[in-house]
Amino acid sequence: MTPQHVRARASAMPFNSPAYPLGPYRYENRELLSICYRSDHALLSAVVPEPLLPASDAVLCNFTRIADSTGFGSYHIAAQVIPVLLPGGAAANYTRFMFVDAHPPSAGGRELWGFPQKLGAPSLKVERDTLVGRLDLGRLNIATASMGFKHQPLAGEDALAALSAPGVLLKIMPHVDGTAAVCELVRYCFTSIKLEGAWRGPAALSLHPHALAPLATLPVHEVLWGAHIIADMTLEMGSVIHDYLA
Amino acid sequence: MKAQDVRERAFAMPLENPSYPPGPYRFVDREYLIITYRTDPTILRAMVPEPLEIIEPVVKYEFIRMPNSTGFGDYTESGQVVPVRFQGVEGGYVHAMYLDVDPPIAGGRELWGFPKKLANPSLRVEHDVLVGTLDFGPVRVATGTMGYKHTRLPDEKIRHALGEPGFLLKIIPHVDGSPRLCQLVRYHLSDIVVKGGWTGPAALELQPHALAPVASLPVLEVLSATHLIADITLDLGEVVHDYLA
Repeated sequence: MTPQHVRARASAMPFNSPAYPLGPYRYENRELLSICYRSDHALLSAVVPEPLLPASDAVLCNFTRIADSTGFGSYHIAAQVIPVLLPGGAAANYTRFMFVDAHPPSAGGRELWGFPQKLGAPSLKVERDTLVGRLDLGRLNIATASMGFKHQPLAGEDALAALSAPGVLLKIMPHVDGTAAVCELVRYCFTSIKLEGAWRGPAALSLHPHALAPLATLPVHEVLWGAHIIADMTLEMGSVIHDYLA
Repeated sequence: MKAQDVRERAFAMPLENPSYPPGPYRFVDREYLIITYRTDPTILRAMVPEPLEIIEPVVKYEFIRMPNSTGFGDYTESGQVVPVRFQGVEGGYVHAMYLDVDPPIAGGRELWGFPKKLANPSLRVEHDVLVGTLDFGPVRVATGTMGYKHTRLPDEKIRHALGEPGFLLKIIPHVDGSPRLCQLVRYHLSDIVVKGGWTGPAALELQPHALAPVASLPVLEVLSATHLIADITLDLGEVVHDYLA
């Protein structure tokens, strides 16, 4: 294989069978349980990278069930997300930790956008009258969320506003000598959102300490609300909004 | 967090609790089953990137148990390595690897450019046979077998084989999908302590899979097999060719 051929075909590793295809990535019936809780402002300020600023004392714990997605198939996500303000004051959601149970979205998420993903065992399912989101790592439970199933409707415009808020990620990729090759803030968003349904209800969340999944270091002081949203959407490629190495 | 702290702490994602620690990565009691086979030279040539040169139409199919490794823990790996020559020195080009745990997959891909995917490899002794398997989801894609410790190999021969350089095609995309890094990386194993090496009768079967295409380098004839146990350190690598330059 000639060097020109390598360069022309290079998209991801392994070269001859990349771990993920190139997008756009369309999700059908993506189901989200989002729990918003109040945490500690000083701790939030210490973990949100400047020039981002925490928008409030709020943190989101999101559990997502994906049944049908381009190239990534069927999988689950659990994420800890912090509402922040971008330089200029626009609202966005900064993903602090994310766990998935399939490899292509993990490799592609990390390498393309900079989603801070690890492999774990997130889940989202209806258990009789309760929508239950869990994150397990090995045999240990890291997060358990519960919400009454479809108690009250959530206004469509509120659900669409939540899904269309831009996301922001801290993408880091090392060089082969261990130094940082990439260290930048990436902005991304979902488009072509088609809402299937959205609900509110009583919600609860517990987080448990773990050496390699330290979600509990942003403690739950008070659960503010829970939302259950089902929608089709497209994950777009991102753009760099800040380069820490420049 | 101050921007200066972000820059100083930036090693891997997530920033606050990276998926893998920085090396050096020491492996204790690393156990290999390596089955060397003859394949189709035309197919092999189409898969190995220049400026690496193919020595002969040969592939090494490997199953590796790593019970004790720095930061990566206890895991198993399986994959294909092609003997190559670069600037007159012989080594191995890592074509594809399949592992069962996240930190060495993320770290392997992002630091060195190991072409790794998540799957279910295994290597164990079953009575008188050393058995290596690779499953991708519920589908079996590779089965290797070797008679257990039939003939001892000299330690020096094992040490020499482990001391050869490895080569990787590291590709990392930009956030717009275009290639950000596209490099040929060379790495070495060091501080090699050989604990034993054997050869014996062996067989290998590869089955087709859309996302784990090990069978696309077909087994025409099994040439030899090696079972070895050693302690080694995986060193960081160096870029020896930049495809984007």
